[in-house]
Amino acid sequence: MSDMDRILIIEDDPETAAAIRAEAEALGCQTDHRDTLSAGIEAATTNPYNVIVLDRMLPGGDGVDAMARIRAGGSTAMILILSALGRAANRVEGLEKGADDYLPKPFEPEELRARLRALLRRGTIQVLDNDLLAFGDVEIRLKARTVHVKRTHVPTSPKEFELLTYFARNAGQIVTRMQLLENVWNLHFDPGTNVVDVHVGRLRRKLEEAGTQAIQTARGEGYIFAPLPA
Amino acid sequence: MTPAKPPERPWAARATLRLAALMALAVTLLSLAAMALQYRLVESRLMAAQQTLLTADLNGLAALYDQRRIIALRQAIDYRATAATGDEMLLLMDRNGAILAGTRKDWPKTLAPAGEGFTSDNATTFTEGQTRWLAVARTLPGGFPLLVARSLQPVDDTLAALRRGILTLLAALLVAGALVGWFAARSVMTRINRINTLADKVAEGQLDARLPGPRTPDEFGLLETHVHAMLDRIENLNRATHRLSDTIAHELRTPLNRMLQKLSKIEGQDDLTADLKSEMRQAIRMFDSLLDISRAEADAGTGGGLVPVDLSATALEVWDLYDPLAEDKGLLTEAKITPNLTILGDRNLIAQVLSNLLDNAIKYCAPGDRLTLQITPEDDRILMRVTDTGPGLPDALKPEAFDRFTRAERDRATPGHGLGLALVRAIAARHGARLTLPATEKGFALEIRWPRLQQSD
Repeated sequence: MSDMDRILIIEDDPETAAAIRAEAEALGCQTDHRDTLSAGIEAATTNPYNVIVLDRMLPGGDGVDAMARIRAGGSTAMILILSALGRAANRVEGLEKGADDYLPKPFEPEELRARLRALLRRGTIQVLDNDLLAFGDVEIRLKARTVHVKRTHVPTSPKEFELLTYFARNAGQIVTRMQLLENVWNLHFDPGTNVVDVHVGRLRRKLEEAGTQAIQTARGEGYIFAPLPA
Repeated sequence: MTPAKPPERPWAARATLRLAALMALAVTLLSLAAMALQYRLVESRLMAAQQTLLTADLNGLAALYDQRRIIALRQAIDYRATAATGDEMLLLMDRNGAILAGTRKDWPKTLAPAGEGFTSDNATTFTEGQTRWLAVARTLPGGFPLLVARSLQPVDDTLAALRRGILTLLAALLVAGALVGWFAARSVMTRINRINTLADKVAEGQLDARLPGPRTPDEFGLLETHVHAMLDRIENLNRATHRLSDTIAHELRTPLNRMLQKLSKIEGQDDLTADLKSEMRQAIRMFDSLLDISRAEADAGTGGGLVPVDLSATALEVWDLYDPLAEDKGLLTEAKITPNLTILGDRNLIAQVLSNLLDNAIKYCAPGDRLTLQITPEDDRILMRVTDTGPGLPDALKPEAFDRFTRAERDRATPGHGLGLALVRAIAARHGARLTLPATEKGFALEIRWPRLQQSD
């Protein structure tokens, strides 16, 4: 993450805007705020931003419908929709219409921070298309779908492999349960129970038995994949 | 989704046709009564005419008898017998039973002489061969039996012709009545069916369905206008409800959001804030479920927004998500999923159904209980069956198990809001799926029969 990261906030509620701004600035980003859709689109198409945080029910229209205009205006920013329209159907609609992420209101600050980090990273680091992901002791081969810890093969189920890959792509950052459910299981509703914990727990035990504490719990926030360098 | 067939309307339900049949029958019966009356009239007139002829005959014979008694009578009958037309029967005998004169050789067996004199008062009818006769049989003074009769053949022929005429007319009336009734019923039924078809479409969820074409300026046209006005109103209300729920979502979530932001600023009371956050999360879930239920109910049957979804794959994914949780709790789990079964659906909603059902099962079952998921094809449906051997639903709760906020008294301590099964039902209805709670020996069983999408490739 460079010091030059810029985030545009298009949000009509000043308190929410202030909360987003606080999180963005905590990540070391420079922020701009617009409170109407037309002003937001204008800013998005005239300045280069890394991430745009877009509300939906704005004075001037629905942020989801504005995404095409923002893209048409030449913006390559990652778009995070942050909206009170938070049902699964709304989320799927937003993602299908081109949003890079969709966070329903009310949101926890940690959740927003995790999402912003992931988007900033995706925006700056180019696609990881090399076959081997290596983090200290942990080696993941994408094509062969194998995991090795200290040169020892760790058998994983297909879902565990996807889970580990998602962790690896966001190595060093907090990943929330909601993110895991959305990205690994492609489910866009809150199941109530923390079903994800069991899966992470199993994967973590496998890695620990192989000798690495790669996955750690970030209390109250989620998990972090941070293998020690070899 | 397969296009919904309009429900078959049984023959008995065709009230218009029954009414038409009744009308035709009534007209026919009235005509029958009128014609019967006429028949009686004609019959009595013809009989009276024969009676008059018989009286005239008798009067003639009486005049002759007055002049020269039996001799004159015998001559006259002889004369008449030689010029017999077959329309009359005359017979005179002596006291020993020998024939003096007549159109026939013996006295009819079925007839006995009665009374004296030449009155035609109590004439009787008798049948001989194919012919009926109107007869007067007397014993003249000195023991001479006399028979004078007129054939009723002309009367019977006329009446038979009349009967044939009446029957033909009745048949014609029945056929004509049936035809007119059929056509009238058909035209009325066509127009009522138009409205019924519209009502079916609306019941299936197509609130924007309307009748095409112009409306006729009669009571049917008026009915269609009224139905359309009603549908417009319902549609507007429905749209307003949708807008309202979106607005509520927005207006309530914004203050909740501010609360959550401020909550995060509290330091040093981590457990309390974590509790509060968890409570808020449950409140939001409940709120989302309510919105999901009303939206799914409003969209039920429209088929809009549904795409082909691999039900087997989706179910397997959700199963894989919950299976470890169930295993960790000590449940014996088993999934029997036939692969590649496709429906028209919304993947997230289907996942939500299964997630709710599995979550419930895991929540209520004790270690050692059995939890199974079964997905199998069944004719044009796909059966999804979730069963467990847990405590099941209390019988008292079954009728309202799918209503919102229904919770068993014994489950008050278990977290939940009583919306899970209501959401399951709403989502099933959204997909045109049938939901049943089959009886089980122990535990809970729920079956959803999804309409199967026939792959045409």
